[in-house]
Amino acid sequence: MAGAEGNGIMKRMWTGVGDFFDERFDMRRVIKEFAEHNVPDHVNWLYCFGGITFLCFLIQLVTGILLAFYYQPTMDQAYSSILHIMDDMPFGVFIRSLHAWTANIMILMVILHMLRVFFHAAYRPPRELNWLTGVLLFFITVTFGFSGYLLPMNQLSYWATKVGSEISASMPFIGPSIQAFLLGGAKIADATLTRFYAIHVVILPVTITILLGLHFLMVRKQGIADPL
Amino acid sequence: MSNNNQIDSSHEQEGGVPFFPDHFLKEAAVMALLLATVAFLASLMPMPVGEPADALKTPLGIKPEWYFMTVYQILKYVPRNIGVTFTFLIFPPFMMLFPFFYKSVICKWKYGRLTLHTVGALGVITAIFFTMLAYLGFE
Ligand code: HEM
Repeated sequence: MAGAEGNGIMKRMWTGVGDFFDERFDMRRVIKEFAEHNVPDHVNWLYCFGGITFLCFLIQLVTGILLAFYYQPTMDQAYSSILHIMDDMPFGVFIRSLHAWTANIMILMVILHMLRVFFHAAYRPPRELNWLTGVLLFFITVTFGFSGYLLPMNQLSYWATKVGSEISASMPFIGPSIQAFLLGGAKIADATLTRFYAIHVVILPVTITILLGLHFLMVRKQGIADPL
Repeated sequence: MSNNNQIDSSHEQEGGVPFFPDHFLKEAAVMALLLATVAFLASLMPMPVGEPADALKTPLGIKPEWYFMTVYQILKYVPRNIGVTFTFLIFPPFMMLFPFFYKSVICKWKYGRLTLHTVGALGVITAIFFTMLAYLGFE
C-alpha cells in the first residue's frame, strides 16, 4: 500500500511514460479518438457476436501456440504427442479442451454474427466489401475446423478427412486436383498431415489476421449500419 | 430510415453512448461470460482423445463436425456432383457478391429485400432441419 506520496510518484511515472509515447507517436489523440467515438443507440446484444468471435480467435491463438510446443505432425507421433500433452503436461487436458471447445463456439458465433448482419441488411452499400471480407472470414473459420480435425490422428480425424477429401473430389473439373492438393498423395499419410498442419498453423492464421485487420478498419471507417 | 448510400459516420453524430467506458464495460461483461463458459466446458467436459487412426478399420457411423452436417446429409439425397457443385462453386460466389447488386437488381423490385431475406430464412431452417435429420440417424 503506497501512501499519498507513493501515489504521486506512480502517477508522475505514468504521465512520464505517456508523454514519451505522446511526443513520438501522438498516442493520446489516437487513443482518445478510439475511446471517445460513440456507439449508436440502436446497438443491442445482437451486435456482440462479432466481438465474441474475435475473442474466440484470441483464445485459439494462445492455446494453439501452447499446443504447438508439444504436438508433432507425423503419422507416427501425432496421436502419441496428444496423449503426451494430456497425460504429462501441466494443464494439458485443460488447454487442449479449451482449444477444441472454443473452436466450436467460434464457428457458432461467426454464424450468429453473419445472420445478425444479414437480417439487418448491414451488407447493403456502402458495406459490400466488408460483407465480402466477412464471407472470406467465415470460410477461413470453417477451414480452421476442418484442418484441425485431422491433427490428433484418431479414428474420427482419419475417417472424417477421408470422407471430406472424397466429397471434394466429386467437384466437376477441379475436384481431383483439389483432392490431390489436400492429401499430398493418393491417401492420408505424412504428407497430408504436414500440409494440414501448415494450413492450420501458418496459412490460415496469417490470412485471418490480415482479413480481420481490414474488417475492423472498415467497421471503424464506415460506422455501424443504420437499423432497417 | 436515413440515407444508407453514404458512409454514415455514426460515431461523429450526436446521440449514442461513448465507446469508453459505457460500451466497453458491457463488452467486458460479455467477454468474461465467454471466458467462463469455455473454461467451464473445458474443465467439466474435456475433449476425449479417441481411438488411434486405423486405415483398415472403418468405424460405424462416421460423423463430420456439426457444422458440416447439413451438407453431409443433403449429399445423401441429391446427386453428389450437383450438391458439391452448388456447395463449393455456386453458393460461395453468390454469398460474396450479392450485396454489389443490392441497388441495381434487388431493390429494383419493391419486395426484393423481403424476398432475399425470406430465402435466407428458409436456408437457415433447411440447414437446421437436415442437421437434425443427420443426428436422428436418417439415411
Ligand atoms: C472471424 C470472423 C469475424 C469477426 C471476428 C468479425 C468481427 C466483427 C465485429 C467486431 C464487428 C462490429 C459489429 C458487430 O460485432 O456486430 C463486425 C461487423 C461486421 N461484420 Fe464481421 N466478423 C467476422 C466475420 C464476419 C462474417 C462471416 C460476415 C458476413 C458474411 C461479416 C460481416 C460484417 C459486416 C457487414 C459488419 C458491419 C456491420 C454493421 O455495420 O452493422 N463479418 N464484424
